Amino acid sequence: MHELFDHTADLGLRIRAGDLDTLFTEAGACLLACMVDDPATVLARESQTLAIAGTDREYLLFDWLRELLHRSDEARMLWCRFDVRVTATGLTATILGEPFDQTRHLLSREVKAITYHGLKIEDVAGGFLAEVIVDI
Amino acid sequence: MIFLLGALCAPVVNLLVEIEMAKGVYSGPLEQVDPNCYRIPKSYRADMRVDGLVFANARLMESIRHDQALEQVANVATLPGIQVGSFAMPDIHWGYGFCIGGVCATDPAEGGVISPGGVGYDINCGVRLVKTNLFLDDVKPHLRELIKALFYSVPSGVGRSGKYKFDPKETRKLMGEGVRFAIDRNLGVPQDLLHTEANGHIDGGDPEEVSDHAVKRGSDQCGTLGSGNHFLEVQVVDQVCDAEVAEAFGLELNQICVMIHSGSRGLGYQVCDDALAAFRDAPGKYGIVLPDRQLACAPVDSPEGKKYIAAMRAAANFGFTNRQLLMQQTREVFAGVFGRPWTDLGMDLLYDVAHNIAKLEEHTVEGKLKKVWVHRKGATRAFPADHPELPEAFQKTGQPVIIPGDMGRASWVLVGQPGSMARTFGTTCHGAGRAMSRTAAVKDAVGRRIDKELEARGVIAMSSSRQGLAEEQPRAYKNVDHVVEVVHDAGLSKKVARMRPIGVIKG
Repeated sequence: MHELFDHTADLGLRIRAGDLDTLFTEAGACLLACMVDDPATVLARESQTLAIAGTDREYLLFDWLRELLHRSDEARMLWCRFDVRVTATGLTATILGEPFDQTRHLLSREVKAITYHGLKIEDVAGGFLAEVIVDI
Repeated sequence: MIFLLGALCAPVVNLLVEIEMAKGVYSGPLEQVDPNCYRIPKSYRADMRVDGLVFANARLMESIRHDQALEQVANVATLPGIQVGSFAMPDIHWGYGFCIGGVCATDPAEGGVISPGGVGYDINCGVRLVKTNLFLDDVKPHLRELIKALFYSVPSGVGRSGKYKFDPKETRKLMGEGVRFAIDRNLGVPQDLLHTEANGHIDGGDPEEVSDHAVKRGSDQCGTLGSGNHFLEVQVVDQVCDAEVAEAFGLELNQICVMIHSGSRGLGYQVCDDALAAFRDAPGKYGIVLPDRQLACAPVDSPEGKKYIAAMRAAANFGFTNRQLLMQQTREVFAGVFGRPWTDLGMDLLYDVAHNIAKLEEHTVEGKLKKVWVHRKGATRAFPADHPELPEAFQKTGQPVIIPGDMGRASWVLVGQPGSMARTFGTTCHGAGRAMSRTAAVKDAVGRRIDKELEARGVIAMSSSRQGLAEEQPRAYKNVDHVVEVVHDAGLSKKVARMRPIGVIKG
């Protein structure tokens, strides 16, 4: 599950999941929830694959969200579905979404950057808890 | 056409919100130095190299204690090469690495570092004030038409691109030349250069150090306002505090001015983002132990430091040029509404200041003249009279300092004072400072019509964002009068004139 939390001028993402694959998947969905009024309006029409190397899981989460943001910015895409595999050396993913369509998608915020502030992934009962602050 | 805000509540209801700020109440030592300054002694933590010095009075300090900002002041005090103190202005609030309102100076000769968090994501976010020869009675009959024309002509809002589109080569040229790029294309006059900090161009920028991704993000955004707390405001001077300086600045009671607050848009953000990625391993490489990852830094003279400085300066030039193009579009709108060239309307630029920047400046430290890197993160330069970096127009007075408040109450023009050079490396506050998180402000707006409340105060507001007006409502900010009082009483910058908004456009 994912939720957004308050931070003075910006926004926090909090994600809970039983395993890392699901954690990263939910993080992608949480990022979309920051950006658009109604994530359900974004359809999985196009797909891309990506791979990110990294052994530190917190930096890997940061790099994952940063890459999603880059791919949103560059091609004006919105990403709504994620199939992520996290390993000891990085992750691979297939991401699905569609181009931004102002007749259907209401942008609620501009996520300008993923930050390191308060970045964490903790082992908790039942799995993992992650927090990331985004600059809006 | 004022956007209704009732429907904006629905998405907020879907969010689970915790008030993060309450978790960060500062419980460390705070010694009052004088009525407008508090010290966090370096003995508070073993890793602090200098004291923290927070410019605030007792009233402001009550709320300042309640987020993590004071701990961030202590964190900055650990940076290598830091000189004298880790400073914070009275509009202090929590930020990334450095607090907003945070200031420090580092000496390269002592292993001083450069920290992107000490500049901010929005490199050269800043503000300019444009004068007119119009008065309130001239504008009142045309105000709604004027605000509507500004709203439709000056691009604002999330993801919004502008009418000026530059290919990557032109964007890099723009970064290399700064405001001169616009002047050469008749998008302003040479006088605008003299009335911009650093003449609208910081030397030593290298556009080639700016990534292709950053260039792409900026290519259609120069001349756009952006979103969040950026705005374009039509204001009326409602108080003159220093008649002599006001006259020198060309300000008088009931005069109409335009204030523009914006920065380097997606380009600057990407430069900071790229730098933080590049600096990820730098602290370890250079033996720097940081209490906060977001304080990522490298020695000024390191390859990482030099690359960032070159890119940051280029991005800063983009920011100056962005505000130049915003001003030029504003001038054209006024000309259209009032049926006269903008030059006949006296739309001269008073000054443009950066409030997210790091600059190499000469300052006296313990009796010695030193070149230090002054980081201003939500803080404004405030050079006094006779400073060699100021143009002739401000040699006798000191530089204008433009301080935006909130859209319901007021903004200020101050003038730099010698106290800033003595106490804060030539720095003063930058604005009102947030008192409420964005989400809290949106919750607070439930059941209210912010647009109507503003109109009742005599402010016509137009916003392209469902949540924008709620997030930026006056209650979300500290009272800028209280902030300015502190820097005035502390001798950092003196009050010259106060302006109240009568129309605002927001992203």
